[in-house]
Amino acid sequence: MNGNVEAIADATGIRDFLRRFVRTRSAVLGFILVVLAVATAVLSPWITPNDFSRTNMAFIWEPPGQDFVLGTDAVGRDVLSRLIVGAAVSLVVALSVLVIALVVGTIVGMVAAWKGGWFDALVMRTADVTFAFPDLIVAILIAAMLGPGIPTVILSLAVVSWPGIARITRSLVLSLRSELFVDAAIVSGTPARTILLRHCLPNIVPALIVRASVGVGFVVMAEATLSFLGLGVQEPLPSWGGMIRDGLPALRSEPHLALAAGTALGLTIIGFNLLGDGLRDLLDPRIRER
Amino acid sequence: MISRKLACSVVLATTMALGMAAAVQARDLRININADPEMIDPITYSALIAGDVLRNVYENFTKVDENGKLLPALALKWTASADNLSWRFELRPNVKFHTGRPFGAKDVKTSFEALLAPGSKAGLQLQYLQRIVGAKDVQDGKTKDLVGVKIVSPLVVEIAFTAPDVLFPIYPFMLFDTQVVADKGPNWFMQTSAGTGPFQFVSWQRGQNVQLKAFKDYYGGAPKIDGLRFIVVPSEETAVTMYEAGELDVLVPASTDLSRRIMRDAKLKAQAQMMPNAQINYLGMNQNLYAPFKDKRVREAFCISIDREAMTRGLFGGLAQPLYGQITPGIAGYNPNVKKIAYDPERAKKLLADAGFPNGRGLPPLKIANLAPFRNEIAYYADQWKQVLGVQVDLDIQERATFLRSLNAGETPFFSWGWSAAYPDALYYLSQVWHSKSPFNRARYSNPGFDALIDRATITPDDATRYRQYHAAEALLMDDWGTCGLFMRTAVTLVKPNVKGVVLSPMRILPYGKVTIN
Amino acid sequence: MTAYVLRRLLGLLPVLVAAILLTFAANRFVPGDPITIMLGDQGGNVELERKLRAEYGLDRPVSVQFVDYVSNLARGDFGLSFRYPGVPVTQVIKDALWISPLLAAAALTLAIPIGIGLGVLAALRRNTLADTGIILILVAGLSIPNFALAAFFVWGFALKLGWFPVAGWTTWKHAVLPVVILAIPAAAYLARLARTFMLEVLQQDYVRTARAKGLSERLVVWRHSLRNVLVPILTVCGLIFGGLITGTIVVETIFNIPGLGRIAIESIFARDYPVTMAVVMLFTLFYAVINFAVDVLYGLVDPRIRVEAVR
Repeated sequence: MNGNVEAIADATGIRDFLRRFVRTRSAVLGFILVVLAVATAVLSPWITPNDFSRTNMAFIWEPPGQDFVLGTDAVGRDVLSRLIVGAAVSLVVALSVLVIALVVGTIVGMVAAWKGGWFDALVMRTADVTFAFPDLIVAILIAAMLGPGIPTVILSLAVVSWPGIARITRSLVLSLRSELFVDAAIVSGTPARTILLRHCLPNIVPALIVRASVGVGFVVMAEATLSFLGLGVQEPLPSWGGMIRDGLPALRSEPHLALAAGTALGLTIIGFNLLGDGLRDLLDPRIRER
Repeated sequence: MISRKLACSVVLATTMALGMAAAVQARDLRININADPEMIDPITYSALIAGDVLRNVYENFTKVDENGKLLPALALKWTASADNLSWRFELRPNVKFHTGRPFGAKDVKTSFEALLAPGSKAGLQLQYLQRIVGAKDVQDGKTKDLVGVKIVSPLVVEIAFTAPDVLFPIYPFMLFDTQVVADKGPNWFMQTSAGTGPFQFVSWQRGQNVQLKAFKDYYGGAPKIDGLRFIVVPSEETAVTMYEAGELDVLVPASTDLSRRIMRDAKLKAQAQMMPNAQINYLGMNQNLYAPFKDKRVREAFCISIDREAMTRGLFGGLAQPLYGQITPGIAGYNPNVKKIAYDPERAKKLLADAGFPNGRGLPPLKIANLAPFRNEIAYYADQWKQVLGVQVDLDIQERATFLRSLNAGETPFFSWGWSAAYPDALYYLSQVWHSKSPFNRARYSNPGFDALIDRATITPDDATRYRQYHAAEALLMDDWGTCGLFMRTAVTLVKPNVKGVVLSPMRILPYGKVTIN
Repeated sequence: MTAYVLRRLLGLLPVLVAAILLTFAANRFVPGDPITIMLGDQGGNVELERKLRAEYGLDRPVSVQFVDYVSNLARGDFGLSFRYPGVPVTQVIKDALWISPLLAAAALTLAIPIGIGLGVLAALRRNTLADTGIILILVAGLSIPNFALAAFFVWGFALKLGWFPVAGWTTWKHAVLPVVILAIPAAAYLARLARTFMLEVLQQDYVRTARAKGLSERLVVWRHSLRNVLVPILTVCGLIFGGLITGTIVVETIFNIPGLGRIAIESIFARDYPVTMAVVMLFTLFYAVINFAVDVLYGLVDPRIRVEAVR
């Protein structure tokens, strides 16, 4: 008898999952938007029409046209190229933050749940304290100490994100611990690491996916905000937040920069949020009943 | 019947009278500044924004008109002695300080003594006093009495120098009533006003505004407006929208981008006043902090990779002119035959290769520093250096106060910055920015030959000879590629049509003493 | 009940301790020597340097500095600003102190009724076009960054329509656009939560029973559902308020409002660490106090929580 929950999941079926997914229109829309953003980012080395940092004194603030599809900015750089590279930058940052937060949070959460005792208490206190600080403030603080730049953004957003993941992991592992199959594994002498990785982790994954997809939107928004404030991605690397900051003063007469970056940013975050919502609706057993 | 007609006429007449009285509004003139002034007292004064504000409060021996011509201010007449070792100033009578006390020769002496006192943290004005007899003793704390300044009579003062200081009368001092320090203590400037200018200091709400009010007893006539409010607006877009909404009367754009946009908007352009700015913009290469800059070839390579003509046409939209040397046209001492710097990418590449860095290989990491409003300029330079030389120069955008402090401490290896003329003579640029002993030589450039020429110029009373010395010094600086000029901006200022009397000069906006609002 | 309140209060302690430690550490172990920066072009003036160092208390051992720091904090003394030499931090921030919380509170007041209303509406009209429409609007409201929203709003309402002033902080009209922009993401978040909770509640047995009994839709909604929705909403308010406070940072910059948020940003760029740390401390304090208040309220409203806490 294989008590592994994976088998149960199989019975409900990937096919069933997909069917329900497609029926949720907004989730599909989100998925499309996310795929668009990710594809743009991944393909960026090949699809940028011009060098994104190439200035051009003869084409300052060009409106969208033949030579430059989305126009140029204050130093004659191609907005479309900067937009595309900006996608790559934003998504790389978001991915890095996510990976770090997931790895750190999952490991810490699992160990805390399993070991209990002082380590558990320490982890929970740290998580509580981190939650006590508004996230943007923490990010700004770290940026203030380390100076602006991509590593700073990744570090500060990771610091802010891992406690949430640790908490979820911990509570899930705690509840799994009382499951029959886990007891069986402990009794039969399976080492803790195997239990955690082979038995617990797969059951945690859906919740983590939900948490991650819901969190990506926040990370992208936070990175854009930091870049807008001048604390994030530095020139000459483009970032959507920075482009909005550059484009705001010109909104009146040359709106194409701010509008393009704002639209890209908005659509991407909307996509991640819709996707995250859709996944949560589908994977969260409580709401599934209806 | 008659009484009704009479009544009507009376009403009409009164309305007209009231209308005319109301036509000239007595209210504050609102001007924007894009950051808090760095300081608000005349002693530590050393920066541009503070200067814009303080020039309405404190005055000097002389002043300048819109053409840069010298006029009497607190001194009516100034004569040099035969041996050029002293200046005699005949001061203007009936001048009152904002404190109510009369201004006289004694205040010249006490102002200078306050600047020289040890621990005074004095700013720009300190170096202008260096050649006065006895200045060193006061600075060292040996005495409080500046012996070189003699009070001949209540309105006549004679100043003796250790060596001729030919430009002394035009140095921008800020004479103030030193009695306030005794009355109110070291932070007097936050509570009182002690100048002679058309406006007096009222309050400074950090991050918000500096409020000045009209000084009724100003010798040039009381201002017709209530006062000045310098509103701190860090975001230019906000400033423009405030101006359009009528919340600002005068808009002073800090960045080129905004000036361009103003000129492209028909409505705003009609309200714009333009004036070439007596300000040099130069490339700062600190040879002590970045070793490759020690090689003249490297310096030249960086300098000739910039296409000044294309930049002034494109980036500035024509609101600038290329600057090759370190003196601006229109300032006394300008060399109309200054050697032009041609845009020469081939030569630049070759120079860098000759210096041992072909295609930029082997150069340690390099960043160029500047402020956010000027990031487009450095983005252009960085891109040129990448395209022409193959060198990756990163942009280091800093905050104003940090940037200025680190510039003044000589800790910025690579930057572009400017220097505005505070008095109408080329010596200001050459001695302040490039003389090795100047605290404002931010690139810490040191050239003994240049120093010697400048030292000689400061004691040469004959204008023609002195200007030739300026030209020689500038040529020496340029041949050594200690720096290179970049451009000279045309300042664009927006003034509401109902505001009259705002006068631009090559040296920033003149004090607002004669402004009227209708 | 008092035990619960005390326990919650005790929970605040580690947060405050952490805040104090972190801000002190950040202040002291920061790159670059602040005194050197302050001296600027007077770098060689040894006497002035000694005087400044003493003035800022930086010439004593770190442990002494820490003790002083804490005791000063207790008295509300945040030290001296680096950017405006000699000026106490409290003077730099005192005028701005009430502005940011006021904006945040106003935004929350606006967001709660709108958010809950929209969420409940969407839940009641589940799976209809109205529901989908509302959901999309809500997601947009959460996703579009506040600086982008601000640009459009300023352009539309202030410039084109002229209804509100563009920037500044003198009349009540100056507060409208910033508050609205702050409120939008909060309202959207609340709406989504309200919708989710409402949906859950509507499925509950007692609601089905009420419906079966033939009670009017209105009664079902109001009497039985809404109250249970409000409780979880309350708990989220703390989180939202924290988000609003940080939202003021961007909004104040755009609208030129002299609040704590703008000071925070300026002080960071100006390397004025004492001011930055003071603002961070204050933000954290607001956040913690709000959370504490919400916890207490929650305890008052829902007795289960108090019991659970005893475990």
